[in-house]
Amino acid sequence: MKRTQRFGVCVLVLLFVVGTVFGAGSSEKAVVDSGAMEDKVTMYASITAIEPIIEAFSEKTGIVAENTRLSTSRFVSTVLTEFGAGKLMADVLQGPLPVMEILKEQGVISDYVSPAIENYPDWAKRDGIHLFGIEYVALIYNKDLVAPADVPKRYEDLCDPKWNNQIVMANPASHATTISWLVGLKENVFETEQQWYDFLHGLAANNPMFVASFSPTPAPIESGEKLIGISMPKYIVTKAPAPLAWAQVEQPLMGSPRAIAITADAPHPNAAKAFVDYWLSSEAMSLLAEEVGEYVLTSGVYPPIDGIENAEVIPIRELSDDELVKWGAEFEKIFE
Amino acid sequence: MAKVRHTNLTYLLIGILALLTLAPIVMLVIGSFSEGLRNVGKFTFEKYISVYSDPGLVDILGNTVMFVVGAALFSTILALFLAYLNNRTNIPWKFSFKVLSVVPMMIPHVLFSVSWALLLNPSNGILNLWLQQLFNLSNAPLNIYSIPGMILVEGLLDLPIAYLIISPAMASFDVSLEESSKVFGGGNLKTLFKITLPVLRPAILAAFILCVVRCLASFAVPSVLGMPGRVYVLSTYIYRTVNTGFIADYGKAAAIGMSILVVSISLIYVYRYMTRSSEKYVTVSSRGFKPVVIELKKAKIPLFIVVVLISFILIVLPVLVLLYTSLVPYSMVPSAKAFSMMDLNHWKTVLADPISLLSLKNSLFLGVVGATLGTLLSLFIAYVIVKVKTRTAGILEALSFLSFSFPGIVIGIGFMWFFIKTPLYATIWALLIGYVATYLPYGIRPMTSAFVQIHSHLEESSAVCGASLLTTMRRIVIPLLVPGIVSGWVLMATMFLRELSLSVVLSRPGTEVLAVQILRFSEDGLWGRLSALGIIMIFFSTLLVILANILGNRFKPAHD
Repeated sequence: MKRTQRFGVCVLVLLFVVGTVFGAGSSEKAVVDSGAMEDKVTMYASITAIEPIIEAFSEKTGIVAENTRLSTSRFVSTVLTEFGAGKLMADVLQGPLPVMEILKEQGVISDYVSPAIENYPDWAKRDGIHLFGIEYVALIYNKDLVAPADVPKRYEDLCDPKWNNQIVMANPASHATTISWLVGLKENVFETEQQWYDFLHGLAANNPMFVASFSPTPAPIESGEKLIGISMPKYIVTKAPAPLAWAQVEQPLMGSPRAIAITADAPHPNAAKAFVDYWLSSEAMSLLAEEVGEYVLTSGVYPPIDGIENAEVIPIRELSDDELVKWGAEFEKIFE
Repeated sequence: MAKVRHTNLTYLLIGILALLTLAPIVMLVIGSFSEGLRNVGKFTFEKYISVYSDPGLVDILGNTVMFVVGAALFSTILALFLAYLNNRTNIPWKFSFKVLSVVPMMIPHVLFSVSWALLLNPSNGILNLWLQQLFNLSNAPLNIYSIPGMILVEGLLDLPIAYLIISPAMASFDVSLEESSKVFGGGNLKTLFKITLPVLRPAILAAFILCVVRCLASFAVPSVLGMPGRVYVLSTYIYRTVNTGFIADYGKAAAIGMSILVVSISLIYVYRYMTRSSEKYVTVSSRGFKPVVIELKKAKIPLFIVVVLISFILIVLPVLVLLYTSLVPYSMVPSAKAFSMMDLNHWKTVLADPISLLSLKNSLFLGVVGATLGTLLSLFIAYVIVKVKTRTAGILEALSFLSFSFPGIVIGIGFMWFFIKTPLYATIWALLIGYVATYLPYGIRPMTSAFVQIHSHLEESSAVCGASLLTTMRRIVIPLLVPGIVSGWVLMATMFLRELSLSVVLSRPGTEVLAVQILRFSEDGLWGRLSALGIIMIFFSTLLVILANILGNRFKPAHD
């Protein structure tokens, strides 16, 4: 038994030694105290396809930028777990506004206000949380298979029986952004609640195909499995030359505001400030619009999507989690 | 003396396994009884009440039972058929079929499911269009977005698990048992059902149970194929519970996961009960054994054609779809236009992407080193489970299944909550330990099935001659276990190479792995790049499988 115990202790010691050697935290604190620029910055982001900005920043400043993609659903739990243990590795956080507000309440986000936010609209400035874009949603269709005359001109046109079994969308019972978007239609587009309910029932009657989130929506449209979907116009840019186009409806486009901020105890605070300042610059926002197809708040900068400069793109209200659950259940009844 | 030695080994292994698997589960149990966003909070039953009082849960449970039992049966029966032909008969192209049977293990499950959606979706699925033309049908005859569709795809994905457990048992089968049956007038079929299959019961049951547990935890198939058809099972229910809202409540997810855990642990005890008289399944004793190849005679060519067709439709076709997707600029149905637009752009982008290359390096390290360590640990655990049939050995078996039984979405969080309290957080070692702890049954199952067939007389003879436990293992047991060891190693290595559930939670800059990079492409909707990287993953997995088989053949004891 003694030999067994000795072996067990050895295994434990080995695990901790190996972990300490390979997982040791950085000794960047001295650099921070001296106010010198660190050589790296770590970002946790929910936005996808941002490699062009990361590369441009690293090239311009010599600071290595590392990004871990966290889906919206894992964002809060991951950041709070690390923060609670004093091991938050991220210097910069990028996520939807409601997520950033929750993290701000928990003390994760610093008060740093970037001078680069000066030229943004007033509603984009929120004490350390910088709003830079809108996760805009639109009706995306296959331009090879849908005749111009058939393209919807209003959201209500999706209720036309000709779209029966031809629509793809994220599951309205569980996908937070789709739930917020549908509620946004009620609050910003339809004049009466009855009109909104009629739209929902008409859409449900056309038996849309559900997928888990926005990212699987363009593939069935490109391949012709479905003709139209509730999706994001950014895919017209990122998936070029796929035959995707957006229905230029008379009503506004809507989406959740996208935000960026520095963490309260950032391991590389100076590099983090440099990164956020760059992110909010016209140069980075142009990259985000042109190469990633994002809708940004920098005046005069638009993604290379036909007619998008004429669209009215508005931010939707941030729904609380209780509201999301409530409306998710309501949509489940309507759509299932 | 031997008994004391066995007891010490059992306690040591229980200690190691408890450290590896109990920690994340304990964190999840605490999380499921805690209020608030973090894993530790004020005690509450609210999360259990909330998830188990949902009126929709009954339908979900019904769908889950159909999906899980259907897929596990399909995998096990198909694996039995292929393992029998590959191990016991003179069917041609054995080596190719051996590798092909393992291919679905190497393909990321999301990709495999998407490939099947391209083939069999009711709108413009390639096979559906072809069948419509062939039989002049107005509607698509098949719909992949249904429970049968999900069973087909999940069954194929789990085929390698069942195959790699049943195959070593088939390989060590003592043909004298069958010969005795024939001497007493039993025909081929009667011998198969009365002798061969009953003797293989531990392996068949082990394969079925492992497939059941895997199907319960499966998320890719229910998400990609179930959700579009509005077919929800427990794992998609967990996803919905976790995802509705910006604050994921993993405590609730853990509360649902607990019932899956109870089912899995119960199944292990059922398995132990049904195989309690292990001597009934011994096929390798000190008298020697000689697996003889059965001549298929007239059935050889028809069976060969059947296996070629199964391999083509079920395995080669989806891989070809992947290859095609990696060459076209966007998701397109095959056409003259699509073929004219083919290029290597996705491949060039992936091969020039430093994160993809780093992911490949990390995944290969985790695959080779992780599988080797995992196999070594599994070897000792399997030995204790089979040869030391005590209550504590039963605990060991249950412990080995703990992390494996939890749905992937949840167990990763358990490991994150655990590793955050250690210096290993965000290192490659956290991934390695997490992988080994979670997928131990992949190593243990094939080896217990193989151990069951080896008579204890062999070890006793060795002990009588003065050999130590380690020497007996090295000189007697391990050489006889080579097919089981190879199976376990292959299952673990291919799993580690494409592991997503833990990696997506534990991976940080510098520790990216292939599956996380593939997920990244999938979230950007970049199916072409995803397919290219997927094929690279399949290539390296195939290489590992071939190498393992070559090494296995070299160390296998000669029968003649």
